[in-house]
Amino acid sequence: MKKFFIILMVTLLGVFAFTQVKNPDMIFDATLSEPDTLDPHHAYDTSSGEVIFNVYDNLIAYDGESLSEFVPMLSTVVPSVENGYLRDGGTTYVFPIREGVKFHNGNDLTAEDVEYTFERALLYNPPGGPVWMYLDPMFGVFSIRTLVEDYVGASWDNIFDSNMNPTSPEYEEALVNFYYDVIDPAVEVQGNEVHVHLARPFAPFLNVIASGSGWGAILDKEYSVEIGIWDGNAEGWWKYHGWTKEQSPYFDHAMGTGPYKLVGWDHAQQRVTLERFDDYWRGPAPIRRVIIQGIDEWSTRRAMLETGDADIAYVPAQYLDVVLSMDGLTVIPGTPEVSITSLGFNWQVDPESPYIGSGQLDGNGIPPNFFEDHNVRLGFAYAFDYDGMINEVLNGLGEKVPTALPTGFLGFDENLPTYELDLQKAENYFKRAYRGRLWQTGFKMSILYNTGNDARRVSAEILRDNLAKINPRFQVEVRGVQWPTYLDERENMMLPVYIIGWVADFPDPHNFIFTYYHSEGDYGGYYGDNFAEFASLPRPEFGGKSLNKMIEDAAVEADPAKREQMYIDIQDFVIDYALVLPLYQPQGLRVHRSWLKGWIDNPIWPGDYYYDYTKVE
Amino acid sequence: MTTYIIRRLLLLPLIMLGVTLIVFSMQQLLGPLKLLSTYVDPNTYAKLSDQDKIILMEQYGLTDPLPVRYGKWIGNLLKGDLGWSVVGKEPVLDALLHRFPYTVELALYALFPIIGVGIWFGVTAAVHHNSFIDQTIRIFALIGWSLPDFVWAILVLLIFYIGLGWFPPGNLSLWADEVVKSAAFNNYTNLLTIDALLNGRIDVFWDALRHILGPIIAISWLWWANLLRITRSSMLEVLRKDYIRTARSKGLPEKIVINKHARRNALIPVVTTAGQMVIGLLAGVVIVEMVFVRTGLGSFAATAAQTLDYASIMGVLLFTSFILIVGNLIIDVSYAFIDPRIRLG
Repeated sequence: MKKFFIILMVTLLGVFAFTQVKNPDMIFDATLSEPDTLDPHHAYDTSSGEVIFNVYDNLIAYDGESLSEFVPMLSTVVPSVENGYLRDGGTTYVFPIREGVKFHNGNDLTAEDVEYTFERALLYNPPGGPVWMYLDPMFGVFSIRTLVEDYVGASWDNIFDSNMNPTSPEYEEALVNFYYDVIDPAVEVQGNEVHVHLARPFAPFLNVIASGSGWGAILDKEYSVEIGIWDGNAEGWWKYHGWTKEQSPYFDHAMGTGPYKLVGWDHAQQRVTLERFDDYWRGPAPIRRVIIQGIDEWSTRRAMLETGDADIAYVPAQYLDVVLSMDGLTVIPGTPEVSITSLGFNWQVDPESPYIGSGQLDGNGIPPNFFEDHNVRLGFAYAFDYDGMINEVLNGLGEKVPTALPTGFLGFDENLPTYELDLQKAENYFKRAYRGRLWQTGFKMSILYNTGNDARRVSAEILRDNLAKINPRFQVEVRGVQWPTYLDERENMMLPVYIIGWVADFPDPHNFIFTYYHSEGDYGGYYGDNFAEFASLPRPEFGGKSLNKMIEDAAVEADPAKREQMYIDIQDFVIDYALVLPLYQPQGLRVHRSWLKGWIDNPIWPGDYYYDYTKVE
Repeated sequence: MTTYIIRRLLLLPLIMLGVTLIVFSMQQLLGPLKLLSTYVDPNTYAKLSDQDKIILMEQYGLTDPLPVRYGKWIGNLLKGDLGWSVVGKEPVLDALLHRFPYTVELALYALFPIIGVGIWFGVTAAVHHNSFIDQTIRIFALIGWSLPDFVWAILVLLIFYIGLGWFPPGNLSLWADEVVKSAAFNNYTNLLTIDALLNGRIDVFWDALRHILGPIIAISWLWWANLLRITRSSMLEVLRKDYIRTARSKGLPEKIVINKHARRNALIPVVTTAGQMVIGLLAGVVIVEMVFVRTGLGSFAATAAQTLDYASIMGVLLFTSFILIVGNLIIDVSYAFIDPRIRLG
């Protein structure tokens, strides 16, 4: 990895280069998109997260570039068993709240604000939002609806009518009691401390609430109530539940304790304007104003970078050479990203799928359970050119990983074997598949990609060409479809294989291992029932535990050393069985004007943290 | 003539209804799940649970049958509610109203050079048929006609922004944007240059002008070329007509032959082209707006179409079909003024 992590400082003064810093009091960040919403409990994308990250503070924060070390923020300590703030066998986290912190409107931060923030998150829990990350450790469920249904003893649709009003007074009473019995005790204020109770010890909990995640932002209760967010009462809490993005008043409002205030979000210009908060508890930021603007055209972003109007710009990997030849820029290729692009196999394709030809092993298609055969998966694994993909297609901005676990995560082990391009090996596996029948008959199938995503298209084409080289009877058609179609086909179990990426929610192995390899994971769920059966069978490799059980146990293991070994064992297993082909871990390309100082490369952060920046030539 | 206009205007809502119904029905072919993926950020979508998907589809009313959805859409339309624009991150109507002035302003300023210069060049080329002037103009037109618009737009950006530092991208400089957004500034027309003058802010006017000149240069050349070609060929055709020969043989001065007899008659096809250009400009000039970060209707429509943002697509459709129908009506009416032989009815 190190060899890609070359820092290139280009500070040559050309004829047209600027000798002076342009707009010394302001940072212009020319990026690719604008936020989805500024509601911290709804935002789940990095563009939204970046704004929230600068406007709000969290209880704790990552220490610089670290993905595992924390520093206190609004909490004055980082809870641990050693310092006595992690209690009850790892189920109670205690946060002493910092005094003298002000919100942007002048209100004081109190422990009640923190309690309110947690409770609002839990009760609001919009579908498609990030709040499941609280619900899972705190209650062992993924949705507040499940919790309410269990408590009330009726289904959600029976409890509420279509206008979200309780269908009977009994239900209404039960809902009020639900708040007092379940939600209220989960987060308590004791003096100046906030106590958060979990259902079970959950190692990644601090990751979930640390900065880098918008959903860990602490809200101002008074302001929230004022603009129409949950009023803090048990009665009627359900009226504030599950809104769509645009219904939330926090959609384009923000009131945090962070280093920057939100001045405005101009939707037409895709521009967010931030202004320094002079009363910030750590002292005001050096830069007065920050503009983050979505500029879709690369040539325009490039022009602004060249003239110095933009201090930071998003540069696609293929333009690395262009920025390297420009003066006055700091270009850092190969910054790590916490995401994996992989190829998953469907062990049970819908027999009606148009992508499996005849649906039989007759040379004109593949059977629906084609990928249940271990040898077929391994044949595919050795038919892909991993290094070629990274070096030629990604311009070197990618890394080869053994499994769908990014580098730097607990359990990442570079000694684990990786698949290589080896057509001979692939041929041997294919000859063994289906007792030699596959080699004789050959197969036909389609691999889809979403149009516009060239990396995925080329990945599929590499596989197609290599398979045809191994045996001309192996025919793969590469077909581009629109993103909605791609997702829909995957949903309906039509795709025999699918190439897709996953971006970390928090830097814990569980977020990837569960997603990819558990049969109920977000991706594992699409490998079909045959895979689910495979994943729940007892395995001698795990001392009689199933793969699913092993993954579940690893998530709750408190001892990091033991936990690490468990994840290594899991990875050994999934490599042997070629469950998923990790194609590459993408790497970023950082480009900013050289006069911008103070950038910290923490891949779990949603974007830039402007508080650290200064502009000096 | 009046009845003709009234009849055409009465047809307008019917045509618009038809257009929206067709597009709305096409959207139904996609199915609720595909539509849902346009409402959710792609990375977030990967993380939706099955339950989330069902709730969200219901929240956005994607599971209702087509007639119910269309009925709701029309009902809301009558209340002035065009739905939520996923691309614009605001209600569709607001999105259109916030973006249209930028397009109008660009169209207004671009119109004069395009039509004035285009016709003038065309006539000049035709009059000096096959001479050096004609050849030069034709080469000029050929380049403009064959150069892809994004190449030319980027070239203009390179020359006038990076090279000369004159015409930056965007609508306004950041300081001017602040002035316009401040409470002290009155937005009378929402056209930046005009509002700046009305507010007595020459500095803002100058800034807005600096930002609009790049896109105008980019658009003008491409569209001059088109108009020039039409004018030239139409003019050449007229100049070969018998009545021109007659006029010349009568000994009329060349100036009068060209201006009074020839040009007027050559203008009919030119009016059609020019009219369609105006419509095109108002409907948004996609590439130029994108390259110059001018947040008008064109870039908005393009992004909406790319991401299948149906509420926005329907909004843009209503808007542009209105402009198209009214625009074509104006073109037809102006024929009658240019050539009294044309009767409408």
